[in-house]
Amino acid sequence: MAYNWNWEIFLQPSATGEGTYLSWLLEGLKWTVTLSLSAWVIALIIGSIIGVLRTVPNRWLGLLAATYVEVFRNIPLLVQLFIWYFVLPELLPRGMGDGFKQMNPLAQQFVSALVCLGFFTAARVAEQVRSGINSLPRGQKNAGLAMGFTLPQVYRHVLLPMAYRIIVPPLTSEFLNIFKNSAVATTIGLIELSRQAQQLVDFTAQPYEAFIAVTLLYLLINVALMFLMRQVEQKVRVPGFIGGK
Amino acid sequence: MIDIRNVSKWYGQFQVLAECTTSVREGEVVVVCGPSGSGKSTLIKCVNGLEPFQQGDIIVKGTSIGDPKTNLSRLRAHVGMVFQNFELFPHMRITENLTIGQIKVLNRSKDEALEKGLGLLDRVGLKAQANKFPGELSGGQQQRVAIARALAMDPICMLFDEPTSALDPEMINEVLDVMVELAKEGMTMMCVTHEMGFARKVANRVIFMDQGRIVEDAKKEDFFGTPRSERAQQFLSKILQH
Amino acid sequence: MHDFDWTSIPGAIPLLAKGMLVTLEVTLTAIAVGVVWGTLLAVARLGRNRVLSWLATVYVNLFRSVPLVMVILWFYLIVPQALKAIFGESIGDIRLTSALVAFALFEAAYYSEIIRAGIQSVAKGQMAAGLALGLTPGQTMRMIILPQAFRNMLPLLLTQAIILFQDTSLVYVIGLSDFFGTSYKVGDRDGRLVELLLFAGAVYFVICFSVSRVVKHLQARFSS
Repeated sequence: MAYNWNWEIFLQPSATGEGTYLSWLLEGLKWTVTLSLSAWVIALIIGSIIGVLRTVPNRWLGLLAATYVEVFRNIPLLVQLFIWYFVLPELLPRGMGDGFKQMNPLAQQFVSALVCLGFFTAARVAEQVRSGINSLPRGQKNAGLAMGFTLPQVYRHVLLPMAYRIIVPPLTSEFLNIFKNSAVATTIGLIELSRQAQQLVDFTAQPYEAFIAVTLLYLLINVALMFLMRQVEQKVRVPGFIGGK
Repeated sequence: MIDIRNVSKWYGQFQVLAECTTSVREGEVVVVCGPSGSGKSTLIKCVNGLEPFQQGDIIVKGTSIGDPKTNLSRLRAHVGMVFQNFELFPHMRITENLTIGQIKVLNRSKDEALEKGLGLLDRVGLKAQANKFPGELSGGQQQRVAIARALAMDPICMLFDEPTSALDPEMINEVLDVMVELAKEGMTMMCVTHEMGFARKVANRVIFMDQGRIVEDAKKEDFFGTPRSERAQQFLSKILQH
Repeated sequence: MHDFDWTSIPGAIPLLAKGMLVTLEVTLTAIAVGVVWGTLLAVARLGRNRVLSWLATVYVNLFRSVPLVMVILWFYLIVPQALKAIFGESIGDIRLTSALVAFALFEAAYYSEIIRAGIQSVAKGQMAAGLALGLTPGQTMRMIILPQAFRNMLPLLLTQAIILFQDTSLVYVIGLSDFFGTSYKVGDRDGRLVELLLFAGAVYFVICFSVSRVVKHLQARFSS
């Protein structure tokens, strides 16, 4: 293959004059990490609420939560992103819609991607939380109630602490997924990592170096996250409780 | 103290409790026995409202369980329950298991709750385990802690749902001893159990249930001496062979 | 409030249907190749040859650690060059071809994990029983273990297929017009992006929700 490998391309100043190509990659990395972490926080909060709602005795709340999960799980992430970015501003009241469209484009992209990723992942987190709660022995809820706890107290002190510990492994999966899914934001122009890969291909004649570097960065993110979650799993392990399974 | 009036319960089409009527007076110890599926666990779970029932009512110290306006949480704060599978909270140390109810439900201070908890822990002989997690204790130890946890709430009566059925034989006695002590101190107790030795020792009355009905409800001496129903006789003869 | 005007849609149905065909083509190819290749990977990982096992593990972990967007972009880069190297020219629709390759290889990694779990869920005694009868390990795997593994894993395999069906929308990044891409194009062309995007969302929802109901029904039947 007559390809000119040139790994020093990263240290070269970019054609647009804004920093080196390496700095472009790092910028992309920064946006990927920022977007993913923020979306994860949203996903955890909303997902926990929805997951809990699917386990409470109230039928209507349960139905509402189930509808949320079904809607966000049966529409492709890309379609959801485009709906948040293109459709929602049109459906909001005039003032809010215009306000959004007047924001800095980067902000528009980021906010749309953030909300999209957050709500999408929340549906998956909700299912994990639900299955975690349902995997607990029924007696635990009864023991809490028998002590005089109200149902919210039972969830807060008895069910959720154990449910969360049980679902650390699948939640780790979702955490990793959100970083991977963040790449979808490239389609609305957000300068996250995979977009920077494409930018590098456009501006340099070194597509392989660019892609390899970006792939390595994604792998690095993976490794870092797996390490982090393993620490979390160790810390929350309950002595005597067989692997939390 | 506990007044069960004509309680019936259905799971869908299937009737699990049929017109159960009985009562437990203050200071009385009542043992509920019967074959599996007889509804005895269900009945005792109705007493503190953990299981709803469709007909009849249960009055616990003046409070009606069936009344939708009753604040069940407040009632349960004063009724202790011990479960077949102990149901200690695995993510909390023993001390926290003992104090969490006192602090969050009875609004006691941390120090007060801890003092009470440790005192009860000592009473059941487990003071050394205070800082361990439930998973590190044996079944018998966990159940004794569970009893202490219920007692820490200063209950007006105690409900036991097959407290020794999940224990290995050699641990049954350590739990029964605690329950015997409790009975001797005058606690009002309603126990679902197969342990007839325990019944003979401390029960005032024995109730025999079969297929959701209370078939026999007699003073201990009468029950063990000459049970009236054939079912009860059959059951006793099978059980007492051990 | 937005002025909804759905009149673009009926006229665009033939075009949208063409797009759906592309979606289905990618989906079904990826499922077919993915399951077969995924099975081989799973068997390799569980097999005794340490080199093969290691290679399979690296493959699976690599594809599962990287965003699908990157995989699609990668193969859009590599496939044309590879085809030129092999055949001297690029054949057919290069976007479609590289998408097919990308999805097939990507899904195989995910399918291999499901199948691996499926194989492990078949009681160990089954392999022993097969060998005791005089079957070779290969025959036992083929005739006894795999059929059971697939039966056990069918709900998960179908769920993965639904995910795959949704993921095909990402061919957008290489400009391939699948159902979603076509919907976007029509919406953009007619100035009715809102309606077309919502329409696309609704179509995906109906399809995926229906299939997931079928899967749930199957799961209920199998567990009884």
